[in-house]
Amino acid sequence: MRTLKNSILLILVALATPAFADLKVATSLGDLASIAQAVGGKHVTAISLCKGYEDPHFVPAKPSLMKAIQNADVFVSVGLELDGGWLPLVIPGSRNPKIQVGQPGFVDASEGVNVLEKPTGTVSRAEGDVHPLGNPHYYTDPKNLEIVADHLARIFSDLDPANAADYGANAKEFNAHMEKALAGWKKQMKPFAGTPIVTFHRNFDYFIDRFNLKLFGTVEPKPGIPPNPRYLSETAQAMEKAGVKLVIYQPYYDADASKELAKKAEGVSVEVPTEVGGMPEAKDVFSKFDFIVGTLAKNLSGGK
Amino acid sequence: MSYRIKLFAFIWVFLIPIVTNAQTRSIISNLANPAIGMSALFLGQAAPNLSLPGSTGPSFQEAEISVISTVDPLWTLAGNFTFDAGSGVAEEAYATTDSVPGIQFKVGEFRAAFGKHGILHTHAFPFIQAPIIMSNSIGEEGFKNAGLEAAWMTPLPWYCELTLGGYHQIEADPDHPLNFNAAAMNNIPYLIHLKNLFDLDENTTMELGGSDLTGYGYDGVHHAVYGGDITIRNVPLRQSNQHGWILQGEYIKKVSYNNSLYDQEADGWYASFQYRWGQEWWSGVRVEEAFNSFSDITDNPTDTSLSGHVQRASVNVAWLPSEFSEMKLEYGLAQTANGGPAQYDNRVMLQFNYIIGFHPPHAY
Repeated sequence: MRTLKNSILLILVALATPAFADLKVATSLGDLASIAQAVGGKHVTAISLCKGYEDPHFVPAKPSLMKAIQNADVFVSVGLELDGGWLPLVIPGSRNPKIQVGQPGFVDASEGVNVLEKPTGTVSRAEGDVHPLGNPHYYTDPKNLEIVADHLARIFSDLDPANAADYGANAKEFNAHMEKALAGWKKQMKPFAGTPIVTFHRNFDYFIDRFNLKLFGTVEPKPGIPPNPRYLSETAQAMEKAGVKLVIYQPYYDADASKELAKKAEGVSVEVPTEVGGMPEAKDVFSKFDFIVGTLAKNLSGGK
Repeated sequence: MSYRIKLFAFIWVFLIPIVTNAQTRSIISNLANPAIGMSALFLGQAAPNLSLPGSTGPSFQEAEISVISTVDPLWTLAGNFTFDAGSGVAEEAYATTDSVPGIQFKVGEFRAAFGKHGILHTHAFPFIQAPIIMSNSIGEEGFKNAGLEAAWMTPLPWYCELTLGGYHQIEADPDHPLNFNAAAMNNIPYLIHLKNLFDLDENTTMELGGSDLTGYGYDGVHHAVYGGDITIRNVPLRQSNQHGWILQGEYIKKVSYNNSLYDQEADGWYASFQYRWGQEWWSGVRVEEAFNSFSDITDNPTDTSLSGHVQRASVNVAWLPSEFSEMKLEYGLAQTANGGPAQYDNRVMLQFNYIIGFHPPHAY
């Protein structure tokens, strides 16, 4: 009798449990998962395959990633071939027809974004591991995330028309929040307009463009090519001559090279995330920019 | 206006644009062309036991041209064409589809999904020389044949893939020693492969695999190759292109069943450890043993052939200045252990590996 009561209780609990989300969304970057969750709200569960402290160029295509998206309804790729080193294995390996390229469940989040640094003319690997479709790190510009939010709202509405109104309203709310936050970040960064900085890789160009900073150079001599001592010395001399004091790098890059360069140039090096989850402070896209802007403002003002 | 001026104006206004358009437009579009890539391997080697002219010094090892493209919403087609100094061959040409939930189908000519080393292309070998047991079992470069494979990702909580394959009847040839050429209608050489992968933590995985490739020979004998493999791999997520290591072992045996008579024709194993100690540097060490080895690992038939019970140790260091080039320096020492005076193969190799164009990422 007691077993029967327990069984009935279990069934009642199961019935009372909220239904699973309407859309299971997987993304290649934490930023995209953060936006997808904000736009999808209670109708969506969003996960990212790439951790924020993981170099998005070199994600190991582990079979467990394929397993993780086996039942996804939507896959959001960052696009512009940033995930081209691992997605061609992971997407087919998922054996999930809904998210194969060309299907409604596969989304290229870069669609509609104003892409910077599109190569003109021939693309040569003599210039390093260049991205032939342009700079794919558009998620370092808050305005681009608004474009992504609208894009995802349209996709989610097509796939789940019953909740289309919610997706539209959530995207609108996300963009309003972003506009308000952006105004604050711009205010914080305004005193540093035109200030040159050095980044490890050209993954901060959209941020630099949005907040009127200036890219002086990179720690790596060419995309994907590690720096050698001579290059670091020459760059440090040039930085010192031009009065460039700040070197920024991400958690997955060689901190030693960045610190050495900053030290030689008598400047400072700081670690900032470019992706959500890159550092504990970057929990979502808003806290990510809060942290980046706060850190840069502090270091550009001499730590005051 | 003179006749000549009118004629000139007519040509300028009407005919030149037509000719220009004809030159710049085409009804033949190249927008849907496949992605194309090429890899090339050059090898230099020195070995005191090799005395034939041409067996030492620099040589062209292999070039591979790869193409891949989507055919239509259902299929993707890929081809790998390899060339060496004397010949060119369509090594693989196959179509895949991911349109069936849970199952990936592959049809065409391709490497069967047997074990770990057997699925690698030559330019992706971690050591310049393939393990000895490969040429004694499924072939130095894997079992390449026409057929159909279905790889099912089971609904188990971990990554568990079951692959079933059926292949064309094929006789033993210089690429592999498998005699699967019985003309009987019921002879369809088949493969069963089970692959399990567990995440031990976010940086480390363990893969366990088992393979069975079976068929009947023209002699009516049941021939089979069995294999088991284990790979523990560490890729620190924070430094995925800078550090990591791979510990791998594989055991393969080739057997036959003539009625109830079981014959273990050859078997062997290898164990290797590769360590990445920087963005540009890998090094590795491998030990291996082959029993009843019948293939000539010296690749030099008129020189001393090492057969029977053979042991080999290899050590290498690789420099990768970018993702698209690699230079590998390797030393290998092989010896027989048949009870009599040992025979040795003692060589130093330097391999240059280049990739241009599109190259699909290698499997994890």
